[in-house]
Amino acid sequence: MIDLQFSHVSKRYRITEEQEANGGNPFINKLKVWRSNCKDFWALRDVDFEVERGEAVGIIGHNGAGKSTILKLLSNITTPTSGQIKINGRLSALIEVGSGFHPELTGRENVYLSGSILGMGRREITEKLESIVEFAELKQFIDVPVKRYSSGMYVRLGFSIAAHLNPDILLLDEVLAVGDAAFQEKCLERISELKRTKKTIVFVSHDLGAVERLCDRVILLRQGEIHSIGTARQIISEYQQLSTAPVAHRNSKGPAILSKTAEITYALFQNAEGVKTISGATGYPLVIRLGYTAHEAISDVAFEIFFYSQDNELRCHVTTELDDRRIDLMEGEGVIEFMCPSLSLNPGVYSVGATIITRGAPTGSAIDWKDRFIVLRVDPGKTTRGAFFMNSTWKLSGTKELENTECEMRERTVLQ
Amino acid sequence: MAVNSAINRTEKPTATLPRMITVIEPPALRLQDLLNNILKLVRYRDLIYTLSVHRIKVRYKQSVLGVSWALVQPVALMLIYTLIFSFIARIKTDGVPYALFAYTALLPWLFFSTAVTNATNGLVSHAQLITKVYFPREILPLTYVCAAFFDFLIASSVFIGLMIYYRVQISWAMLYVIPIVVLMVMFTTAVSLFFSATQVRFRDIGVAMPLLLQLWMFATPVVYPLSAVPARIRNIYDLNPMVGFIEGFRQVMLSRQPPNPNLLAVAGLVSLVLLVFSYIYFKRVEANVADVI
Repeated sequence: MIDLQFSHVSKRYRITEEQEANGGNPFINKLKVWRSNCKDFWALRDVDFEVERGEAVGIIGHNGAGKSTILKLLSNITTPTSGQIKINGRLSALIEVGSGFHPELTGRENVYLSGSILGMGRREITEKLESIVEFAELKQFIDVPVKRYSSGMYVRLGFSIAAHLNPDILLLDEVLAVGDAAFQEKCLERISELKRTKKTIVFVSHDLGAVERLCDRVILLRQGEIHSIGTARQIISEYQQLSTAPVAHRNSKGPAILSKTAEITYALFQNAEGVKTISGATGYPLVIRLGYTAHEAISDVAFEIFFYSQDNELRCHVTTELDDRRIDLMEGEGVIEFMCPSLSLNPGVYSVGATIITRGAPTGSAIDWKDRFIVLRVDPGKTTRGAFFMNSTWKLSGTKELENTECEMRERTVLQ
Repeated sequence: MAVNSAINRTEKPTATLPRMITVIEPPALRLQDLLNNILKLVRYRDLIYTLSVHRIKVRYKQSVLGVSWALVQPVALMLIYTLIFSFIARIKTDGVPYALFAYTALLPWLFFSTAVTNATNGLVSHAQLITKVYFPREILPLTYVCAAFFDFLIASSVFIGLMIYYRVQISWAMLYVIPIVVLMVMFTTAVSLFFSATQVRFRDIGVAMPLLLQLWMFATPVVYPLSAVPARIRNIYDLNPMVGFIEGFRQVMLSRQPPNPNLLAVAGLVSLVLLVFSYIYFKRVEANVADVI
């Protein structure tokens, strides 16, 4: 049973570039711009795939690969330029639709408003109202105008309505960054519940870890075309290899002056057993090896490594600069290893860059700088919710041990 | 886990219901699609209702006079026009008291102008919603027409008061007001759909709206009687459907005569053609409105 079918779907956007009108009649100019300066941009080209009932399919790809266009087409916000999409059943997107709220109306009135915009009938909303309010944890505020709500309350209510849609096919965007941790937990619980009840799910995301956990099949998009379809693990590693390519072309602001008296020659990753790998896992050990060649003896240098997420944000940075130990390089080749007992990065694909600097040198000058020249995939390991994994140990204090612990603590206090 | 049970409790098994098949395709001009779109509107009737009520609520929330604003506007205009056109300009109204004469026309005219003014911005002001959720977009301008119609009904109460005050006799001919209002709502919907869709690409429409409506009002017998219009321009003048509606309204309510059939037929025909054309045009724009807006 096929729930979703894309047949040769293409989507073209017309991009009009606003030209500086050099005098003349502004109206005529506008028309000219309109006629001549349309550039065609194909966001999707001949995309063809099917989703079976009960299947969870992930769609991944770089920014601009066409993910959000697929999302828009599926939710019928825009129409394809050619081709056909068949949807069998009630499709709804689990998105935060607080934007459909009106500030002057109360929470209750907004539930009706937003609910009916999302396609619920009034009877249906009345039936679900109590549950919606409970899910959003807004019981005592439901008759307050939403303009008095905090942003968190606003978002919770919006999301709660969407979570009650009960669709046949669920469309998931990167929505999980909604509300606080406890609320996120609820949302994830709701999604896995839908998956358990064999709803068809389409998940569009950058978060490879989440895609791997949720999806049976993954579609990799590249420049508006389907690059490959396959199992989650297979496609994600393919995506990761693809990610290496555009990295080299990225132009970002680095140090202006590179003395190049020493150069970074390679970087590689090793797991706990010292075996070379292309991926790490959250919460597990990882070793990063940087090879370098010093063309002369240099004193007091520092090595640094940068981890960038797919949206080019610096997520993490390790450096020897703050260490008490001093590094002096002798002429010749060498290796520096960074040992990381438990990787804090969340699952995903990271671009890794490295640099050698003279300690205390002003920013803007370096000895060598290799910007995002290697890719690290982080698999879900001891993955937790939140921004990063925090290494921690734990100890249980039950009723019996409680006294002991307290004694210990008191002792310690005394000792200090 | 408490969360799950909270949601499950109200969920009914939907597996037995037949699934609806949606096909999303490039826009095409087909009669079948047009009919489907109208059927879809029926399915979305709850949204039309909720949004219309919402428009009315929001407009009058946090205002002291509340819904009575729907009365203040026509009554104030009636007083001003009576002052200007009756006391100062001394327009002849065929024996009808000017206040009553003006209000009879202001009532339908204000419905039209309020609906069109608000509906024109209907799509653009909901850009955020349009780029996030699907629903038939014509609902947005339609709900403004509904809200204006609500105001029209409220303002009618003053009209009834005026009729009692001026001792206008009740007659069966007054029932003709129903088809006139139906046709006028059709025409208003057509104009609203057309302008709101055009506004998406050309924001000039919204800016020009007050001026356009002002001109339109003077091209319609609101402040003067139709009999004052020179006969040689009547052929063109009568093509404006609002002429037929407002003159019909006056005839039915004040002269207790059936409306002029020719005038109303022209207005009705223009309305119908324009409604079909506007709806097709609107649906065409709707297909890619999220990319342009």
